[in-house]
Amino acid sequence: MSVRRKTIGEKIFNIVNYTLLILFSLTTIYPFIYFLALSFNDGYDAMKGGIYLFPREFTLENYKKAFDHPQITNSFMISVTRTLLVTVLAVFFTAMMAYGLSKKGLPGRKYIIFFFFFTTLFGGGLIPTFVLYRQLGIYNTYWVLIIPSIFSFYNAIVMRTFFNGIPDSLSESAVIDGASDLTIFFRIILPLSLPVLATIALFVGVGAWNDWFTGEFFIQSEELRPAATLLNKLISEASFESSTTNTGSSILNVNRELESIRQSGVTPEALRMTFVIIVVTPIIMIYPFIQKYFVKGVMIGSLKE
Amino acid sequence: MYGVLLAFKNFKYNLGILGSQWAGLKYFKAFLTDSSFWDIIRNTITISVLKLIFGFPAPIILALMLNEVVHSKFKRIVQTVSYLPHFVSWVVVVTILQKLLSPNVGLVNDIRHSMGLDPIFFMGEPRLFYVLVVISDIWKGVGWGSIIYLAALTNIDPTLYEAAEIDGAGRFRKITSITLPCLMPTIGILLIMSLSGILNAGFDQIYLMQTPSTLGVSEVLDTYVLKKGIRQGEFSYSTAIGLFKSVISMFLIITVNNVSRRLTEVSLW
Repeated sequence: MSVRRKTIGEKIFNIVNYTLLILFSLTTIYPFIYFLALSFNDGYDAMKGGIYLFPREFTLENYKKAFDHPQITNSFMISVTRTLLVTVLAVFFTAMMAYGLSKKGLPGRKYIIFFFFFTTLFGGGLIPTFVLYRQLGIYNTYWVLIIPSIFSFYNAIVMRTFFNGIPDSLSESAVIDGASDLTIFFRIILPLSLPVLATIALFVGVGAWNDWFTGEFFIQSEELRPAATLLNKLISEASFESSTTNTGSSILNVNRELESIRQSGVTPEALRMTFVIIVVTPIIMIYPFIQKYFVKGVMIGSLKE
Repeated sequence: MYGVLLAFKNFKYNLGILGSQWAGLKYFKAFLTDSSFWDIIRNTITISVLKLIFGFPAPIILALMLNEVVHSKFKRIVQTVSYLPHFVSWVVVVTILQKLLSPNVGLVNDIRHSMGLDPIFFMGEPRLFYVLVVISDIWKGVGWGSIIYLAALTNIDPTLYEAAEIDGAGRFRKITSITLPCLMPTIGILLIMSLSGILNAGFDQIYLMQTPSTLGVSEVLDTYVLKKGIRQGEFSYSTAIGLFKSVISMFLIITVNNVSRRLTEVSLW
């Protein structure tokens, strides 16, 4: 913007604009501060209310209990390993697929793309997926947390668009030097594509980390439950004495869990707040560093469909 | 894809998909005459339309506001903060909502209390359900949604603004005469995508937010499929509903895209 005389109208506009943006940022951040305060506060004290910004009776007990709790630590481990595995595999497979699709000489390229595009749009939804997982034998196994997440057509298209932007002359000169397709892929294409790889890795990783659905509906064993699913169980159990969001058996289990927590001197409510913070923290630590990449990634993905 | 067959079969688990008897269109008919059919369609479309009306312009407004910010550091901080809710799952967002609105020690009811008002059980109030859905949807998505518009804004030729300034255009004039028209193609594409998703009311959000007392307004296609299929084991019936939804969505995306291509030359493919 130019630095010319500022009219009164512009000054008012600036003040209003900045104020609104600050308010907006505060409403975005505030809930997390609220939860952070609650998670560091003694649970029984918190029941009296009145904690909005800072803990009143500071304690680390909630975190100690959370990290001691076998179900929570186990779900956390499941989520961590799952997220890492899915991210690595997804980036690798998506990149290979995208590289193939970016080659103009690929026979039947149009049909392959149509095939994936059509099946992405059209399908019977949840139940056929459910039946498929059962028949593949991955229902209620660790693999249901991994295999379905490692390929997404949308991500492949985003990557392909990026690969298309890499000048052909680079790989052509490599061919002259005697490089094979695989060498070109690993030595030229991938190193040049770090921004898009980082973006996809972030999307897939966050998706795997946040996915509660798979754990809720495709997993029955408690020891396979990821953190997001456990969090949902603890919360829906607490908020309403309803059966709509819980199956009968799990209510009993979670109830027993909560009972044992209650006896340990930490309130379930405080533990829940702590769990929310634990689940959210890794994401908050990571995404700002990948920001400059994903902003580009989103552009590529949406503007050139 | 092969699972689609389920919708046309009397599915028995032990017989497998191919072994089960054909049922023809029985389940589609059953759904169309289901007593809750119209309620579910109405809820689904109401939620999507409300989200579209209030949620669609929100990122555009945020992007325009950010674009007017001169201090680049301030701008970057606001942007980073605004992306945060996108990366947080609906489970967490709904938890936050429940906690803030809790009738016991929730912030909002504390404020009401200090003003001498009675607490409201927000999450159980059918009249407030849509309001909460729209607000939480905007809260979660507005920052992320603005990325695309901000990117489009940086592509606008700065000489246009310079020319406008020489002609004496003020700030608002520049926004309405240059910025918005330049954003039109982007807005168009995103609008097509939202319109074709009109039967997606946002499964995670709705499913996690609904309570027994709000079921009358909160039951949507996706949540109904889930309950019928997985809870009650009516596999074929649920698949028919899923397929019904998928076919309509595909029809919508093609129609909207064609109309838009004809009228404005904006097209997805």
